[in-house]
Amino acid sequence: MTTEGGRTAREQLSLSRELARRVRREQRAAWFPLLVFGAITYLAIPVTRSGHAAGLVCRGDAVGGPPGVRVCVAHNSAAFVYWPIALIAAYVLIAFFYLRLSRARGIGTRVRPYVIAGLVLAVAVIAASIWASHRVLSGGYDLLGWHVQGPELYRVIAPACAIGLALLVLAAVDRSPALAAVAVVYLVIAVGRVDFGWAINQTSRWAFAPHLVIEGAVLLLSSAGFAAAQQWHRRATHYA
Amino acid sequence: MSSHPVNGLDDVVHQRVRLGILTVAHEARQVEFGYLRTTLELTGGNLSQHLATLENAGLITITKGYEGKRPRTWVSLTKEGRRALRQEVAHLKRLIDQVEQRGTPD
Repeated sequence: MTTEGGRTAREQLSLSRELARRVRREQRAAWFPLLVFGAITYLAIPVTRSGHAAGLVCRGDAVGGPPGVRVCVAHNSAAFVYWPIALIAAYVLIAFFYLRLSRARGIGTRVRPYVIAGLVLAVAVIAASIWASHRVLSGGYDLLGWHVQGPELYRVIAPACAIGLALLVLAAVDRSPALAAVAVVYLVIAVGRVDFGWAINQTSRWAFAPHLVIEGAVLLLSSAGFAAAQQWHRRATHYA
Repeated sequence: MSSHPVNGLDDVVHQRVRLGILTVAHEARQVEFGYLRTTLELTGGNLSQHLATLENAGLITITKGYEGKRPRTWVSLTKEGRRALRQEVAHLKRLIDQVEQRGTPD
C-alpha cells in the first residue's frame, strides 16, 4: 500500500465523518423541546396564582426543626394538578413533533430515548410530589448517595428538575455540548433557586413568580438561540 | 492471509458512495431515498444501483410505502450492515495509522 492508498483511506474516513456530522446536525431540533418547556413554565404562572394552599400537613417534632415549633407545609392546589398534565402533554407533543420532522426531512430520529426518559422522570416527579404532599420534609435525607436537607428535597422533586434532567438526556442523544451546557445552567438555576436578587415578599401571592419567570426565560432564550443557530447553519450549507 | 489492513477492506462497502449510504443509514437509523439522493448528489438511477448492490449483500433493507399519496422508499441497515460499516471504519483507521507510521511510500 502506498501513501496514495493512505490518502484515499483518509478521504474515505473524512467523507464518512462529514456525512455523519451532517445527519446529526439535521436530526437536531432542540429549540422545540426548549420552547415547549419554556411555554409550560410561563403558563404555570397564572395557573399557580389561581390556586390556593391545600393539603396542609403539620409536624410538631420535625427533625432538624426548631424545638417546640410546629412545622406546616401545604401545596398549591392548581400547580399540583397542572404540572403532571403539562409535563406529560409536553413529552407527547415533542415526540409528535420529532416524528413529523423525521418524515419531512427523510431521516430517522433518535428522540425515543429522550421521550422515554422524560416520561419516566415526569412520572417519578409526580409520584414523589404525591408522596411529599403527605409529609413534612425536614431534617436530612439520603438520596442516591447524596445527603440532602428537607427543603432542598422539595427542589429536587420539583418539575423543573425533571425538565433539566430530560434536557441532559437529550443533549447526550443529540451529542450536543451546547445543549448539555444549557441543561446544566438551567438545573443550577432551578435546583439552586437562583433569583438574581429578585424576590417578592413571601406573604404575597406572587412570591413564587420570580423563579418561574427566570427558569422560563432561560428555556425560551436558549430555544431562540438554538433556532437562530440552526437557521444560520442551514443558510450557510445552502449557499456553500 | 496477510494481516495488512487493505486485505480487510470489503469491495461492496469500500466504494465511496456505498460507504456514504451506510454511514447515513447508520446515523439516521432509517433514511428516505430522496434524502440520500440529495445528500450524496446522485441521480435516482445511480442511487438505485448502489442500493441494489447493498441489498443483495444483505447490508440494508429497503421498505417501500406511501405517505399520504406520495410513494416513499426507506432504507435501513441490517445487523450485518452495521458490522460491515464498523469493520470498514476500523480497517481505514488501521490503514491510515500504518501509512503514517511508515512515513514514506512503499
